[in-house]
Amino acid sequence: MGLGETLKRSEALVSIRIYRVGVVGLRVIRQLKRDKRTIALVLLAPVVVMALFGYAISGEMSGIMLGIVENAGDNEHGVGEGNVETGFSINEALERSIFEQIEGNDAFRIFRLASEADAEKLIMERRLHGAVAIEGGHLRILLDGASPQIADFIMAQVEAGTRRGMGMLLESRSSGGIPITEAENAGDRPEAISMDRRYIYGYDIEVMDSVGPAVVGLVIFFFTFLITTVSFLRERTLGTMEKFLVSPLSRVEMILGYIVGFVLYTFVQSAISLFLVVTLFSTPMVGSPIEAMVVLMVLGIGALSLGSLFSNFARTEFQVVQFIPMVILPQVVLTGVWWPLESVPSFIRPISYIFPLTYCNDAMRAIMLRGASLGDVIFPDLLAMGIFTAVTFTLATIMLKREVA
Amino acid sequence: MIAGAAVRTGIGGGEIQETGKNAISVRGITKSFGSLQVLRGLTFDIPRGITYCLLAPNGSGKTTLFRILLGLSIPDSGEGFVLGEPLDKVRSIYPKLGYMTQHKALYPDLTLQENMEFYAGLFGIKGRRREEKISYLLDMVNLEEHRNRITGTLSGGMYQRLSLACTLIHEPELLFLDEPTVGVDPVMKQAFWEYFRAITDGGATIIMTTHVMEEAEKCDMVGFFKAGQMIAQDTPRGIKRIAGLTTRLLAKVSDPSGSAARIRELGFDVSIAEETLNISIDDPSMIRDILEVVGPAQIDLREPSMEDAFVKLTEGA
Repeated sequence: MGLGETLKRSEALVSIRIYRVGVVGLRVIRQLKRDKRTIALVLLAPVVVMALFGYAISGEMSGIMLGIVENAGDNEHGVGEGNVETGFSINEALERSIFEQIEGNDAFRIFRLASEADAEKLIMERRLHGAVAIEGGHLRILLDGASPQIADFIMAQVEAGTRRGMGMLLESRSSGGIPITEAENAGDRPEAISMDRRYIYGYDIEVMDSVGPAVVGLVIFFFTFLITTVSFLRERTLGTMEKFLVSPLSRVEMILGYIVGFVLYTFVQSAISLFLVVTLFSTPMVGSPIEAMVVLMVLGIGALSLGSLFSNFARTEFQVVQFIPMVILPQVVLTGVWWPLESVPSFIRPISYIFPLTYCNDAMRAIMLRGASLGDVIFPDLLAMGIFTAVTFTLATIMLKREVA
Repeated sequence: MIAGAAVRTGIGGGEIQETGKNAISVRGITKSFGSLQVLRGLTFDIPRGITYCLLAPNGSGKTTLFRILLGLSIPDSGEGFVLGEPLDKVRSIYPKLGYMTQHKALYPDLTLQENMEFYAGLFGIKGRRREEKISYLLDMVNLEEHRNRITGTLSGGMYQRLSLACTLIHEPELLFLDEPTVGVDPVMKQAFWEYFRAITDGGATIIMTTHVMEEAEKCDMVGFFKAGQMIAQDTPRGIKRIAGLTTRLLAKVSDPSGSAARIRELGFDVSIAEETLNISIDDPSMIRDILEVVGPAQIDLREPSMEDAFVKLTEGA
């Protein structure tokens, strides 16, 4: 074979006919248009998933059964010994603050109990999640260790009450409202230790604010992957794949055609998901929504490539469903959707860095919460997603074997 | 008998001589999947411009053969040419090939028009030429009035017709049809065959597989294929001759043994069963001679069926 012929052949190999790509893309769009169930999925799935994730995992608790054991044996609030001189004890102020904090929180259902022993019994019987007992100036918190999140929540509330009480105390002290001791009152007032929270990006970020941008990516990845895998599989079962292979359509053109068709799908779903997360869950959109869409599209194309690759390993739709725990679940857990990558054990973390969702989450948070621009997230996020897409795309074209058995 | 077939049809011959005259030319193709040998030294030629029917029992490697000829599968050994191109370069002539698979290869959620537009697009047929082709083909397969119907709502036979129309959209020179007339009603089947003849008259070649013997009868050439080997290939009539089957004349006469003796004198093979002479005739023009000898009789002509030939040849192989 002469050099000229070699050149001609390699040229034919890479020459992609845009027209044929368009023909495949148009067909995919026409099919999607007719497929009412898939349209419903495009529109409703983000709503359902967002609602599920948004409300259920927003960190808001309710219906916590909490027992309170208050100064059993004591008379009135704070009329304890040792506090008589001031008429107002530190213990009493703190106690009051803690109970105010707890009682003011709708998450709790409060039960007043006579003794700590009662509380313990009720917790053992699983009728209480925990109890707060203050007896003789001693604070004891009883917790059901089997529900760590609830235990943490109760602890956090008690601590918040303590902090607030301390703050009030210092405040009143420095303003001279309530004298603590005569000596202190006469002397220099100690500086109150003040505490400030300062968020670099604007404001107090709630759970959904951080999870929201990531959940959008998860929704796009999951459904794009699922639908492309099934669509490619259908080409096999319908026998159309066999016909493509005996036509001028190349494998690259075929997958590109799918991308063209499904980009529209991804676009619509991304727009809906973004809209929902911003309106329903008031996740901030500091950056440009259009740039956030671009990130989601890049992710969608990656999911599509992965889908076309994985369709090679499935013979039936049933087998496609089996990919979900393999492909989707690890990304749910390992890509920093719910908790930061830093909390993923270091020996598993390399896997996190393979998944495109890791980079999408990072980029989406950067754009939505910090107002980053696309330029800021090109490296490493967009680049990494691009590499993921390139690798899976190449593997998919190779795997789309001519010998389909 | 099988060896005779090879001599008669010239298959099993040595070197590959040419590329232009035959649509398909195959020498010594073998293919195994693991320990299972599917094709065992397959050798045959299919001239251009004919309808060639591949008759084979299930699981005999028909589909594997098609896939090799279409460049979708690589043979373990042997050589072959499709429209003059060696098997490993068949890809370069895909625009000239048409392939109708056993699966209908249609999108049930598209309209007929959209399915045809899609296949036209794959072969770069666009604009007015596309519309003309679609109208012409839909008309030919009698589906013009259903043009905008959703394909999934068609009946089985209609599906098959649309599948054929889609396969023909780019006017292929060589058509591979895998059981093309399954589920098609007799009237439409007739139309299919008329169209096949029109295609081959235009110089194109059709290679098809079928289980239906009457179909094979209509082909220009039939190849009997069993256990990965071509056991006979000829015209339908020739095939029957190879199988030792001839037209038989049944004559009910008053004096069977006397008549039989006289006919044997003429050189025919005669047997008697229940006062009926069963005479084997190679040449239909000889019937007159026989009738003169037999005299007045109740007669019946029986053509051997392709099925008989198929059974006989596959049993022998």
